[in-house]
Amino acid sequence: MFKSVSGFCLLRPISTPDMERHRNSVTSKSKSYRMSYRSSLGAAASRLGLTPALTGRRLDTRRRAPKSHNITEKVNPEQLALLTKTEWQLSYVTPLYRFRHTQLKSYSGQLSAFIAAGKQQGLAVEVFDPQTAFRVSFSVVQGMTESDDDADTVLIQIHSKPLFARQDEPQKTVWSGLLTCVNANPEYLRSLPEYFICLPLFGSSGAEGLTALVKSWFQQSFDCCFGPLEISHTSLQWLMALWTNCHTESSIQHLKMIWTLPAVPPLQVTYTVNPEDAWELWSSVRKTRDKRGGEEEENCIDIEEVTSFMQGLKSHFYRHFKLDLSAGSLNQVSTALGSAKSSGRMKISNSRYMITTLALLTECALFKMPI
Amino acid sequence: MDDSTKLFLQRFMRRIPSYMLRTTLEKWGRLTAAQQKSIDFTQSKWALTEALLTICEENKLAMKHLIELEMIYIMDNPNQGMWYVLQLLDPEDDAHSVELMQFKEQFKSHLKELVRHVSIKIKNHTDQAVWIRIAWGDAFSRPNHLKPTFGVHYLQTPYVFVTNLTSKQKPLLSQAVVLSTRYQAIKDANLSGRKLTAIRDLLMRKYQQVFPTKYPSPLAENNQTISNPHIVKEQAEPAANRLHMACKAFGGGALPQLQSAVYKLKTKFRDDPNKTMTEREEPFRCVVKFESTNLLESLRHCASSGIASTPVTPLLSCIPLKGRNYFVITDNDSGPSSQTHQPQN
Repeated sequence: MFKSVSGFCLLRPISTPDMERHRNSVTSKSKSYRMSYRSSLGAAASRLGLTPALTGRRLDTRRRAPKSHNITEKVNPEQLALLTKTEWQLSYVTPLYRFRHTQLKSYSGQLSAFIAAGKQQGLAVEVFDPQTAFRVSFSVVQGMTESDDDADTVLIQIHSKPLFARQDEPQKTVWSGLLTCVNANPEYLRSLPEYFICLPLFGSSGAEGLTALVKSWFQQSFDCCFGPLEISHTSLQWLMALWTNCHTESSIQHLKMIWTLPAVPPLQVTYTVNPEDAWELWSSVRKTRDKRGGEEEENCIDIEEVTSFMQGLKSHFYRHFKLDLSAGSLNQVSTALGSAKSSGRMKISNSRYMITTLALLTECALFKMPI
Repeated sequence: MDDSTKLFLQRFMRRIPSYMLRTTLEKWGRLTAAQQKSIDFTQSKWALTEALLTICEENKLAMKHLIELEMIYIMDNPNQGMWYVLQLLDPEDDAHSVELMQFKEQFKSHLKELVRHVSIKIKNHTDQAVWIRIAWGDAFSRPNHLKPTFGVHYLQTPYVFVTNLTSKQKPLLSQAVVLSTRYQAIKDANLSGRKLTAIRDLLMRKYQQVFPTKYPSPLAENNQTISNPHIVKEQAEPAANRLHMACKAFGGGALPQLQSAVYKLKTKFRDDPNKTMTEREEPFRCVVKFESTNLLESLRHCASSGIASTPVTPLLSCIPLKGRNYFVITDNDSGPSSQTHQPQN
């Protein structure tokens, strides 16, 4: 069962640098991208062969402006609270082989046993004690999908008692994990062979030892592999623009960017913009676009608009400090709606824009995937 | 010894690193040589605290003695917490003749007039600094020695450095300082940092100063054997020029360690090539904070390495020149076309 798909892992070292190179070479040509995306998907059937067929994929250069989704009615409030209050460390996961949403109960038992065994082997630091055993629960988050092809989001929680807890003290959630897929490319999803479930975005929050154990259980059980999902400069800019675009519906409070410039010693620049002024700059950028091309739909945002928004902010900064922010790297962006760090930490504070943000991250995860 | 005194000693012991304890106790001088010898400094903090508590009981030491101990430690290790600078304005004719004893008496009596329950301790440090420790109480409570304010004033200078001062206490301290130093007013100097010594050096110009004549020629000699002399020569000139400009703005030597600088910008938005928001008249509001382990060093490196364009903008070079690290920037009133900015007070 495992051998038949081991090609996933084998492909990884070959295709990743290739993809990066390809992405860089086509960044300026937005039209050619759609062609290659399609054509590569056409070749998806042969993906299990050794040709890295999907190397043409790159991030969308246009996306729909975020609609506010009132998911509070669809999603269990307890689960929603966990999703919004947690800062997730993101990873990508390759499609899961023979993962079934109906088997979650048995997965809970298996993973609990796996963690217990792992702890006993001394993989993690804590000493194993049946009193503080870990109880795992898998649950489906209903209502978190955008299209019918998306697999349902799965939430994993690990409960345990603190080391020095009293007997009657209830167990606490010590680790949470999230596997999700929002608005993934339907052609890609349909091109997957039978028995594969695609939940490409994995978020974890809690002790790293537990994260490692959960990952290795998934790897063994569903023949998948995990990799770190950094949030690229472009994605951070997208998030800034998407959030700012929401300002009239729900206030962003502030638009904050943190840059690091490679001076000696390193110089950190925190650039915080007043929410109304950020919004006005954004609408001014949008208006200029409208004049240029009239036939485009209202609700689409182009990458050009995102970059000229950023360019505006950068040149205002340069005019004052004669410092070019492009020399440094953007590490973090945040508003009241959420925060994202280039290291792959993400917090979505407002449930209304969760779907949009997760859709962007799903796309990043699919893009980062080595197959 | 009452409970609050015990608690004070316990808290103090938690703060002081073990290796500093011996010298601090020696400077304090409240222990006999035998007692000092009896303490085993390799013990745990908990055991050391117990030993010290016993000795203090024996010697009948009270809160006022322990305050001295804390002051000795803080004076030797002032680079903790955030220090802010207050600047005195408009000296009276006799301001320059205020001496230590007079300041001490005046300050105590003025502050005690303003606050009913307050404990003030003033000590003279070796480098001419007057150290003030204030434990605040209010109408109903005794002074809280666990959260004291520290102030440092150099006599005959217009600067007072403070740490751990709340906004409620600030007017009280300010008034007492103004009256006892024979000045007429006091204002925020818009300078803050974690290192007292660094912000003091910056204000009192105790670091290597910028003398424009020191950098007369931008080209440095280069005797190294080089692979392509044309390319190197081509690049050496602008590089030397950048270094020259960087040193002109920030000086060539070691710089006082500042951790941050904050600019509140309220200027018109201009993004010339793109013509965005050109019709908008209101200022674009944003806050920019620069942070580094040594901010001035980083900024100088930015200029010399080319990350920052030269000449260095006055906005950055005025941090050492004016001795400030908080600025509010607005457009000059001279006209909308003006590109220059003026740091406002």
